[in-house]
Amino acid sequence: MNYESMKFFYAFSCAVLCLVVLSPTLAAIVTFPEGQKFSELGILGPNHMLEGYPFSISTNELCKVYLDLSNYMGGLEYYAVYVKLRNQSEPLPDPEAGLPSSLEPIFQYRIFLMDNATWEREFSFSFEDVSFEGNVSRVSRLSINGYDVSVNKVAVWDDANSGFYYQLFFELWIYNATASSFQFQKPFVGLWLNVTRPL
Amino acid sequence: MLINREMKSSRNAAICLALLALTASWFIPACFAMDASEASDAINQAEQDLGSAYTVVAEAERAGVNVSVLLNKLESAGSFLSEAYAAFGAGNYQNASLFAVDCSRAVQGVASDAARLKVDAELSRSDTLLLTTVGSSIGLILILFLGFLGWWFLKRRHFRRVLDMKPTVEAVL
Repeated sequence: MNYESMKFFYAFSCAVLCLVVLSPTLAAIVTFPEGQKFSELGILGPNHMLEGYPFSISTNELCKVYLDLSNYMGGLEYYAVYVKLRNQSEPLPDPEAGLPSSLEPIFQYRIFLMDNATWEREFSFSFEDVSFEGNVSRVSRLSINGYDVSVNKVAVWDDANSGFYYQLFFELWIYNATASSFQFQKPFVGLWLNVTRPL
Repeated sequence: MLINREMKSSRNAAICLALLALTASWFIPACFAMDASEASDAINQAEQDLGSAYTVVAEAERAGVNVSVLLNKLESAGSFLSEAYAAFGAGNYQNASLFAVDCSRAVQGVASDAARLKVDAELSRSDTLLLTTVGSSIGLILILFLGFLGWWFLKRRHFRRVLDMKPTVEAVL
């Protein structure tokens, strides 16, 4: 080995050794870039699968789905899930503008989730007080997880799809500690329900 | 005569008690009845308590505290608040208010516990950082010192070897 290469090898070894010795301090000081942060809200069918969702339901028929929420935000998060009911003409959330639906929630969940944790809860509901008059149906009361909720929604007969359609949708909100309030998150999920006349 | 009077007074007392029991069924619910605004106030208070407790617990978690015990309390408080909203939506203001109070009660002391744990974690973290910094500095100084010393030896050995390889004149013809 000639002098120059020996000099280089020696300096390189010393530099590597210095880095090894400094690594605990560097690890405590340097922050590495984190992966993508997001939360996931989904609805599963009655068998915990992406199938078997209720669609055509009649008055007093008990339906069951599962709500699934996962946290990949990198830390503890505080969520609110707002359950809302609309007919075909009422406003949905606007994910492009980041705006929630202006409708009032009929039910809500408060959830705390650690990073990489998942929350799942049964969501059972039935349309309790439904009246039909010509081409109009009116839902006055819903039962959600055993609670009676007054709703008073009207749906007009949809000729194209042959039914009285209502949408039960779920908005995800995350608590912003700085603003001390919940903020709407873009994804929302929903179920279209065709409420049929009792036989 | 005396016995008769005693019997009369005990009968009157019994009638009074019966009347009191009957009227109590009207007055007691009226005394404890909750209206929507009272229940709403209790829910707002619970909402605030839960929000501030979460803020401190989240800060503690970011500082490296194991918040699993505090998280359990937050979760149960969150369930109470969900129930409070559900009861309120169903028009059961009494239950809504009770659930809201349970929520506030569940997070009582959570914020102070989290703040204390956070301070402990920060102190321990700064101690660890100081220790690693001092250790690394000593290690670095040692490496530099030994490096120069080693290099000095290596260089000397190298030149000695090169000089040893220098051709020497053995004999002059």
